[in-house]
Amino acid sequence: MGRRKKIVEECETLMNTPENIRNIAIAAHVDHGKTTLTDNLLAGAGMISDETAGEQLAMDTEEDEQERGITIDAANVSMTHEYEGTNHLINLIDTPGHVDFGGDVTRAMRAVDGALVVVDAVEGAMPQTETVLRQALREGVKPTLFINKVDRLISELQEGPEEMQERMTAVIRDVNDLIRGMTEEMDDIDDDWTVSVEDGTVGFGSALYKWGVSLPSMQRTGMDFGDIIELERNDKRQELAERTPLSDVVLDMVCEHFPNPVDAQPRRIPRIWRGDADSDLAEGMRLVDEDGEVVFMVTDISMDPHAGEIATGRVFSGTLEKGQELYVSGTVGKNRLQSVGIFMGGEREEVEQVPAGNVAAVTGLQDAIAGSTVSSVEMTPFESIEHISEPVITKSVEAKNMDDLPKLIETLQQVAKEDPTIDIEINEDTGEHLISGQGELHLEVVTQRIERNQGIPVTTGEPIVVFREAPQTESREVEGISPNRHNRFYISVTPLDDDIVEAIKQGKASMDMPELERREALQEAGLDKDTSQNVEHIHGTNIIIDDTKGIQHLNETMELVIEGFEEALNDGPLAAEPVQGSLIRLHDARLHEDAIHRGPAQVIPAVREALHNALIDAEIKLLEPIQEVRIDVPNDHMGAASGEIQGRRGRVDDMYQEGDLMVVEGVAPVEEMIGFSSDIRSATEGRASWNTENAGFQVMADNLQPETIKEIRERKGMKTELPESIDYF
Amino acid sequence: MLSFVGLGLYDERSITVRGRDVLATADQAFAEWYTSRLAGTDVGTLEATHDIEIAVRDRAGVEQHPEPILDAAEDGHTVFLTAGDTMISTTHVDLRLRAHDRHIDTQVVHGTTAQTAASSLTGLQNYRFGKATTLPFEETHGGVPDSVIETIRANRQRGLHTLVYLDIDGENERFMSGDTAAALLASELDDPVGVVVGQAGSDDPTVRADRLSALATESFGPPLHLLVVPGDLHPIEEDSLSALAGLPD
Repeated sequence: MGRRKKIVEECETLMNTPENIRNIAIAAHVDHGKTTLTDNLLAGAGMISDETAGEQLAMDTEEDEQERGITIDAANVSMTHEYEGTNHLINLIDTPGHVDFGGDVTRAMRAVDGALVVVDAVEGAMPQTETVLRQALREGVKPTLFINKVDRLISELQEGPEEMQERMTAVIRDVNDLIRGMTEEMDDIDDDWTVSVEDGTVGFGSALYKWGVSLPSMQRTGMDFGDIIELERNDKRQELAERTPLSDVVLDMVCEHFPNPVDAQPRRIPRIWRGDADSDLAEGMRLVDEDGEVVFMVTDISMDPHAGEIATGRVFSGTLEKGQELYVSGTVGKNRLQSVGIFMGGEREEVEQVPAGNVAAVTGLQDAIAGSTVSSVEMTPFESIEHISEPVITKSVEAKNMDDLPKLIETLQQVAKEDPTIDIEINEDTGEHLISGQGELHLEVVTQRIERNQGIPVTTGEPIVVFREAPQTESREVEGISPNRHNRFYISVTPLDDDIVEAIKQGKASMDMPELERREALQEAGLDKDTSQNVEHIHGTNIIIDDTKGIQHLNETMELVIEGFEEALNDGPLAAEPVQGSLIRLHDARLHEDAIHRGPAQVIPAVREALHNALIDAEIKLLEPIQEVRIDVPNDHMGAASGEIQGRRGRVDDMYQEGDLMVVEGVAPVEEMIGFSSDIRSATEGRASWNTENAGFQVMADNLQPETIKEIRERKGMKTELPESIDYF
Repeated sequence: MLSFVGLGLYDERSITVRGRDVLATADQAFAEWYTSRLAGTDVGTLEATHDIEIAVRDRAGVEQHPEPILDAAEDGHTVFLTAGDTMISTTHVDLRLRAHDRHIDTQVVHGTTAQTAASSLTGLQNYRFGKATTLPFEETHGGVPDSVIETIRANRQRGLHTLVYLDIDGENERFMSGDTAAALLASELDDPVGVVVGQAGSDDPTVRADRLSALATESFGPPLHLLVVPGDLHPIEEDSLSALAGLPD
């Protein structure tokens, strides 16, 4: 404990010198060794003992993570490292590599300025390498590269220096192609962010055997690849690790090549914050001003059995102190900070204060969710964090014992707070609640946590795919009449261009940003000027346009109109699935003179029904989620592997040789992919490795529509027959 | 045949003699109790007094599913009852139009209504009233709607009085009181004089005039209440308010 306490004290001192702080994330494709690497760094910094590094997996704090051997939640840790005579504070956020947990990765990226991308030397850059890189660059986070598992090239594949060099060059080239492609259009990144051995932005090594090298380290230690190969071949890994320890190489690279908050924030703030650039608040964040207003961006909420809910995030300006009363974006009133701390491995250490530029872990923010902006003055929140993937799969959860009902609801709400990529639908009447997430595994993990951590035995239903509904043509103008018939609304709907949908999905245009900026973003995505000026609301990927002129009382009715639209969009007319990609126009309205006769009971049903009728007139259809599938398989199992895709209403797009394996790439509906893992295993005698990634939604074939809609309606307890006006399948 | 009969202001005896006679010949009676109600009686007493069963319909049962009422009116003489007058502020003209569409004969039997009481109990002349407005519960509208304030302001600019109906929430037996309404409007309107009328139609109605801020601290007895915000006062109106409503000098 003495050592630990000393580190905490060291950290506290360093916190006040932002020039010596590095906020970093480690991101990688699943199984490329990022958690093992993290443990190495912790051991190097004296946080855990050397012997256990590589086995302890200190960052995998949840039992299920250690059991599965994969990281699920992003965990956080602070450590110190001396580089060129100066002590540095390194705040590290570990991120999960499994694609089901992509939301965690995106959130982690907002809190950091540098991302160490880990790539397996044998497998090379994989689909998720691309995904994490994109997530990092989109947040303005600078990458460096660590090529891991080099020991396997030497010991397993028996490669010589030349072959190894060739392989590494290929990996670096692939990664740089990705970086170049993604940064080309980013105006705020002037420097070349590609990585290279010569610059020292690439490291190599073995996290498992705790050794690593880079060009600067080789120059310093005088060791070259020949020496390394010899030591590795002769099983002198201990000596190798002692002579050129991985943690020194990586942490040196972190200190040298990642920007500190003072350098990073002036560039990153305009990218991630849409508020007034000329305000004092913006100035405070750019300057990492510890005396400025408090601005704290929550990237993660976790539960501590003793302290309760812990909010972790990045302090962009001001200084967090216990007792502060802070605003939480999207809620009214203030929350009071109960305690302020930093993470050391799995544990939180309370400290007096955490100034700008650091990653902090606080308690008391009961209204905060992952993604909240917390501040001492009311402010424009940070751009909503973009999740690259929306929930695609749903499972029902029911408590086995009646007594657990209230606790289950509470736990589910907690789960949604901790992980915004989870959607929760509470149904107190039936007790059958719904959780939606990124994939089978994602949901399995969440339900296991409910059972294990909360001790609530639950019954879960079969996983069900989440559908969408979207208009296919332009509708005529439809009249909506309120129940008392005194209020009338005239609306039409048309499909929104894909580019505009994409812009909304990526958060380029949202209701959070100032009107002018939103207008410009929508125009840039292809919305015409007149329309963009009349945007009243954006809900999901749907835009509501107010084309009316000078209608008395409409302004005080508009909120109810929007509520009606939202209800109609949340539960589409076909199967009560969410509607996406529609451009809704309110052309005209006739309202009752008195507010009481145009209240919620009148306006909401009128608007809801009008929109449903308009959507039906626009031939709304059902969309299903699809996944991109990549299978790496030996040649003689290739037929079986591609058959597994084709047999699932899928499409094989490409087959090619890579090394000694064949790669099969294609897409298939998520619904058909349920149970894929066991099927592909048996079809290829366990010889295939595969990867899936959610790839959005696609209109279902017409011949499948009626049957699927009927099934969903039945499952939801709706009338199975559709309105007669739906006659276009 | 569908007869719209207003029950008047206060209790089972507030109906007109003509209304009573029409009700006596009816085969079926329906009522709605969500836009207003009689504070001095209940449906049971009404049924006993008029010796007829009264089916009370909720909002959806009148606005969205009026078929049972119209079916009954097609088959026999049916009466549709509301407090006050069926066509003033309750706006049931829609139901009459639907009956008309089905070629059902209709008639209206008037009742006394809050609008009458607002003039007759206060001495404010009905010629000098502008647009009326309803003040909804704060939570249903997120505060006082702008249109309410605009209506009162516009009336006052032209020297006209405003009748402010006060929201009722029939399901939960909540009725906005005159003091609550005065408090809500006082700050928005630079605290003009207001008049609260309570228990209109009863033997002992309440009528009080004062600045809204002062009215906000008083209580006016059991529901229902209404509020008038006067415009310019004619001398005789001023005399009425001091003599009948205790307006301070």
